[in-house]
Amino acid sequence: MPLPLLATLCLLTSQAPAGSLTARDSAFHALNRLAYGARPGEADSVARSGVMKWIERQLDADHVSDSHLAERERDFTILEHDRADLAGRYRSAIRERRLMQREAAAHGDSMRLPAAGPMRELRELGGQLQQLAIVRATLSERQLREVMVDFWSNHFNVFVGKGADRFLLPSYIEETIRPRALGRFEDLLIATAQSPAMLFYLDNAQSVAPGSVPPFPLAALRRGGQGVRTLPKGINENYARELLELHTLGVDGGYTQQDIIAVARIFTGWSIQPPDRGAGFVFRDWAHDRGTKHVFGLTFRDDGKDEGIRLLAFLANQHATMHHVSAKLCARFVADEPPDGCIDAAVAAWQKTRGDIRTVLRAIFTSPDFWAPQAFGSKVKTPLEFVVSSLRATGTEPDDTPRLAQLVARLGEPLFQQPAPTGYAETEAHWVNSGALLARMNAAMMLAKDCASIPTIDDHSRLVDVIDEQLLGGTMSAHTRTVILNQLTDITDPEQARIMAVGLALGGPDFQRQ
Amino acid sequence: MTISRRIFVKSGGLALVSLGLDPLFLARAAFALDRPAVRPSDRPILVCLFQRGAVDGLNMIVPHGEPAYYQERPRIAIPASDVVDLDGHFGLHPSLAPLKELWDNKSLAAIHAIGSPDATRSHFDAQDYMESGTPGVKSTADGWVNRYCQHDREHADTPFRAVAFGPQLPRILAGSAPSLAIDDLQAFGLRVPQEAARDRLTRAFEELYDGAGTGLLASSSREGFDAVQMLKRADPTQYRPAAGADYPQGRLGKTLLQIAQLIKADVGLEIAFADCSGWDTHVNQGASDGQLSTRLRELGLALAAFNRDLGERMSNVVVLTMSEFGRTIRENGNSGTDHGHATAMLALGGPVNGGRVLGRWPGLGLEQRFEGRDVAVTTDFRDLFAEILARHLGATDLGTVFPGYTPSAARFLGAIRR
Repeated sequence: MPLPLLATLCLLTSQAPAGSLTARDSAFHALNRLAYGARPGEADSVARSGVMKWIERQLDADHVSDSHLAERERDFTILEHDRADLAGRYRSAIRERRLMQREAAAHGDSMRLPAAGPMRELRELGGQLQQLAIVRATLSERQLREVMVDFWSNHFNVFVGKGADRFLLPSYIEETIRPRALGRFEDLLIATAQSPAMLFYLDNAQSVAPGSVPPFPLAALRRGGQGVRTLPKGINENYARELLELHTLGVDGGYTQQDIIAVARIFTGWSIQPPDRGAGFVFRDWAHDRGTKHVFGLTFRDDGKDEGIRLLAFLANQHATMHHVSAKLCARFVADEPPDGCIDAAVAAWQKTRGDIRTVLRAIFTSPDFWAPQAFGSKVKTPLEFVVSSLRATGTEPDDTPRLAQLVARLGEPLFQQPAPTGYAETEAHWVNSGALLARMNAAMMLAKDCASIPTIDDHSRLVDVIDEQLLGGTMSAHTRTVILNQLTDITDPEQARIMAVGLALGGPDFQRQ
Repeated sequence: MTISRRIFVKSGGLALVSLGLDPLFLARAAFALDRPAVRPSDRPILVCLFQRGAVDGLNMIVPHGEPAYYQERPRIAIPASDVVDLDGHFGLHPSLAPLKELWDNKSLAAIHAIGSPDATRSHFDAQDYMESGTPGVKSTADGWVNRYCQHDREHADTPFRAVAFGPQLPRILAGSAPSLAIDDLQAFGLRVPQEAARDRLTRAFEELYDGAGTGLLASSSREGFDAVQMLKRADPTQYRPAAGADYPQGRLGKTLLQIAQLIKADVGLEIAFADCSGWDTHVNQGASDGQLSTRLRELGLALAAFNRDLGERMSNVVVLTMSEFGRTIRENGNSGTDHGHATAMLALGGPVNGGRVLGRWPGLGLEQRFEGRDVAVTTDFRDLFAEILARHLGATDLGTVFPGYTPSAARFLGAIRR
């Protein structure tokens, strides 16, 4: 018999608990939000051992063993290539493409060319990146960390399709985002600012003090700058603007165009090594604007790279930043329009710990807003959440072909392919439209065929009970139940009945919610 | 919930926010109700074709009257004898000859020296700016076509109002107004090979979502099933182009054929969007023949077939081509061209004030160029887009479509007949 939520919560938080929800409802809610949904039986087992205990374990991800995933990760050769290696492959692929274009043009062919050699190899490696993200989200025991990796990958979005980011993105995810997903916000912010992927994506790599001249022959710079055909001539404000608007203070964070320019001047010289030297971060002294900058009441005076570090540390702990990022976290975990209560709790935890992400998350997970009955099932799953939660609920082991990544893309969320620096949206209005819903229904019917968690059962009523238990944590609506049972009445083949019932359950409205 | 569209529009949504309801959700829920039974076939339609990769405007609409054009392009210039002359100064690339007829009957206009005020030569950034409609501002989350649909919701009574042909919704259509991405018209809906089984499954899902209450899930699924029904009635598998229109092989021809189908099906299409790629001609671009010529031939044939297929219907259709920037005036060492600045666009259809090359031509002289190498931009692309939205589609609030910019009728080129 599951303990009522009341008792669980009172024990742990001494906060006023919510209505008539069972411990299993709470476990299912936590699994929907902190994880990519419940696996068969998981809502019950989390409820038995205590949902708050499970949450604490998820916050302490380093001590959760993840051996099955580690084994699966070995299938992904992309993890064996470092940035320099991928940069070399990228250059060979570009060379190959130029050669083929030249040949094709000489023969008067059109430009659609079959990829061979390095180009195909690089494309396959790129596909692995998406598929790996799905495998990790589905299989990892450190579910909260995977959820946060996705959150930060969108908060600090980099578009894989922009030039050099084709080869810079893997190390961005592996080395910049993943190790810091549950660390300190300031460290993550500084790491993204110094990441070649971000420096390229938001053009800071080409931002130089006006009139500055490189101390080496121009030809060398041209050789190194993949795809850059003209020499950078001055400051580029793109990174500065998005740093303030998206990464830290937020659009209403109270800064001006003059602030943006000052911030851009501070980051002049933050750039990338040429690909043949590893494409790592480099601070180019010659490109740095040595003039004095005044911004946000601070003064930066000819202090090289440290100016940028000091500014990032300052921004990371501004109230506007804490509020902006906390509100986004609450939109992810609590509700599309999060109540003030959970945001305030998160901000307070941020202040107390200088942005320790675990503590901020704990504050959200223990806030009454998180456990309010109206929060349960109130969010619509993103395409990634829909596909991964389907895989988990149906006990499907994701393969390492691009099939599932293509499915997520068809549903509107091609991973790492959001061109806008905003990243993918979290809210229902962006994901729910008629075409997308039809696509989800098609996906559900496809996924139902592979369902391993539901046996064939002759008795339809019993079959729907099991589906409700395993896929929906017992939250299936009476309407859904009636419709599915009606559909089954003239189906005699139990295997067909199973696929139909599972498909309708996954593609229906109940499973779109979390 | 019985909120009629009229009531919602009147109340402006503001009163409803105080009830704690999201106005967007309400708007969409409201528009899901009370659809007009008859769909007007005289609704103006805009078809956008994005030439991704930056088309060489100078070899598409050739300034054959400029000596500098021939001096700078010894290997790739279109010889004056091959150019399809338009007005003594400009002419069509010979591969676009099928469009000459439209020029002559004044339904084709070219716009030259058009582009972005932003100087970027990155495909990615420039495409992004052309689709977001906010050059220089990266964080704009939605596209300008979607913003048009947002501010002008009076027409949002069909799921087919804004349709992108392709597997994913492009940036230009991204945003909170509903829009559809259709990869293949014939495969739209639930994918079950057998028709009876497909109908049954469709009904089952329809019933499931009928019980989803009043939220966005319910209204959007309703729209989706309506769309499936509408298409089923239109029966796209039986489509035959009219007047012997012969679409060229390849993706572009197929896409334009499907757009024509959708227009004739009268499902309420207002804006269609499609991509065509292969314009990034750095190497061996060719002149009258060759790489660019092949792509332009496909474009010309596809547009001519579309025009013939639609016949009378073209009287309220505008097709607009666009590309993120143009290419260098001087050919490069590989007989190609590199990333430049201004380019050319084409507008065709009954409402177009055709038979003219629009926009101020800046000339190709050294001092007239942008950064000493490229065609200068004399028309901000937003002015052309704004004119088409205002004078063709009837948009009234251009300020919200192009934030940070004030489109002014004084800068309109006169691309649309009045």
